[in-house]
Amino acid sequence: MVETIELSQKSEKEALQNKIEVKSVHFSYGETEILQDINLEVKEGEFLVLMGPSGSGKSTLLRMLANLSQPKSGQILFDSPLDLAVVFQDYSLFPWLTAEENIVLALKQKLKKTKTKKELQQLAEQYLTLVQLGHAIKKYPGEMSGGMRQRAAIARALSVGSDLVLMDEPFGALDPLTRIQLQDLILQINHDQKRTIVFVTHDVEEAIILADRIVMFSPGPPGKVVDVIEVPFEKPRNRKQLFNSQEFVEFRDYLLGVMNKGVFEKLNQSEEVSSGEGI
Amino acid sequence: MLKLKQYSITFFIAVGLVGIWVYITSFTSWVNPVIFPPVSKIIDAFVKGFPDLLKGFVSSMGLLVPAIFLSLVLGIGGGLFFGLHQKSREILSPFFHTFSPLPPTLFIPYAIALLPTFKLASIFILFIGAFWPIFLGTIQGIALIDNHYWDNTKTLGIKGKDFIFKVVLPASAPYILSGTGTALILSFIVLMMAEMFGAQSGMGHFVQYYTDFSQYDYVLAGIIFNSIIILAIIVAFEKIKKRILFWMNLKSE
Repeated sequence: MVETIELSQKSEKEALQNKIEVKSVHFSYGETEILQDINLEVKEGEFLVLMGPSGSGKSTLLRMLANLSQPKSGQILFDSPLDLAVVFQDYSLFPWLTAEENIVLALKQKLKKTKTKKELQQLAEQYLTLVQLGHAIKKYPGEMSGGMRQRAAIARALSVGSDLVLMDEPFGALDPLTRIQLQDLILQINHDQKRTIVFVTHDVEEAIILADRIVMFSPGPPGKVVDVIEVPFEKPRNRKQLFNSQEFVEFRDYLLGVMNKGVFEKLNQSEEVSSGEGI
Repeated sequence: MLKLKQYSITFFIAVGLVGIWVYITSFTSWVNPVIFPPVSKIIDAFVKGFPDLLKGFVSSMGLLVPAIFLSLVLGIGGGLFFGLHQKSREILSPFFHTFSPLPPTLFIPYAIALLPTFKLASIFILFIGAFWPIFLGTIQGIALIDNHYWDNTKTLGIKGKDFIFKVVLPASAPYILSGTGTALILSFIVLMMAEMFGAQSGMGHFVQYYTDFSQYDYVLAGIIFNSIIILAIIVAFEKIKKRILFWMNLKSE
């Protein structure tokens, strides 16, 4: 008896050690297995990057973390009741609402009726200013550039107060300069506001610049976690110094090696399959 | 200015067509002058018949406006319900598919038998015609709402009034409005037909009345008047539609 109580206490404590724990999660779409036996944890305050080629199921995992789809088997445990915000690639905002209205709409659901419309608008303005969009409060998404839209989406994610922000290739559609600016912004937010971030990308350099830890996925289907790698560079990182350093080049090549190994294996497999079919 | 230039050729074609009419009716004897009266007689009829034409317009709008209003309320309301409740939609959609393609005029016998006045019966028939395109447009619009909008709605926890008015209706508005456009055109057709048979007044009745006396100058005046009214209403509707869907045509700086 005593033992079991201790055990259950211990497991409760364990659950509290991490923000999210993903335990032997499987996901399939029809007959196709998309994710196979995924185990990982997201730590409080960390910047976790999910990385892998397209089709590796990393976005699927993010959707499950966001409770937008359910695992076929396995568990996803949260340390607190589900409270998170999501930033998608280029469609987070409602195009018929201004930047401000988009945020007010989100805030209204969160804060119920505790604040007046005026107060909600002030909050929205505050967060839009934080992401340097103070000048575009009344603009509709259709009037903004891709970078501005992503800034507004980030502002909305921050405004609702969730300390967990999930981002699904949020900078994938941006030009290189805007991309760098937004990477810096999100790093600053992760650091200053102590928000935990789970970020999906297939860009190696983006992963290295942003991540505390990188979860590498093998090309699917089914996608598997092949490795979880700590990024060995101190934060804050100086982009220019980092990119010129030998360590960075080696680390990048190492990551690409891990990723390409999976890709080549996959290619060989499909060649075997297709030549088999030929006979 | 640009618009005027854009339509300058159109304008010359229109002038040319009127010119041909003038030439054939006034300077040749190719056509029957009773059925194809000269322009001067048509203008004369238009001026003399104008008070009646206006009265007809008011009377027709008295049927059309309540019918369109009713079909907007019930079409969008019902469409919202069935668009958002898959189970109910699956159960009833065979009925939708059976009844929606039927010409509304098929229901005239029952409308006249069951409703106390000709006016109510006409409104009912117009309503049936206008209801289906709006109702089905709303259901289709909801079914085609981009999955991204649903994802956002879910992660933001948007519920209740905001869910309907800030997400579902704007997102499905393109299809609701295209259904409404179809409903408008269809109800003009039904309106004209209905008035040509049973009405005592109205835009269609005017044309039918003078046909009985073979006064084709008045018939043509009526047709021209009706065309102008219908065109004006359609243009106004397109303006409203563009305004509601403003967010689809925005340009980034």
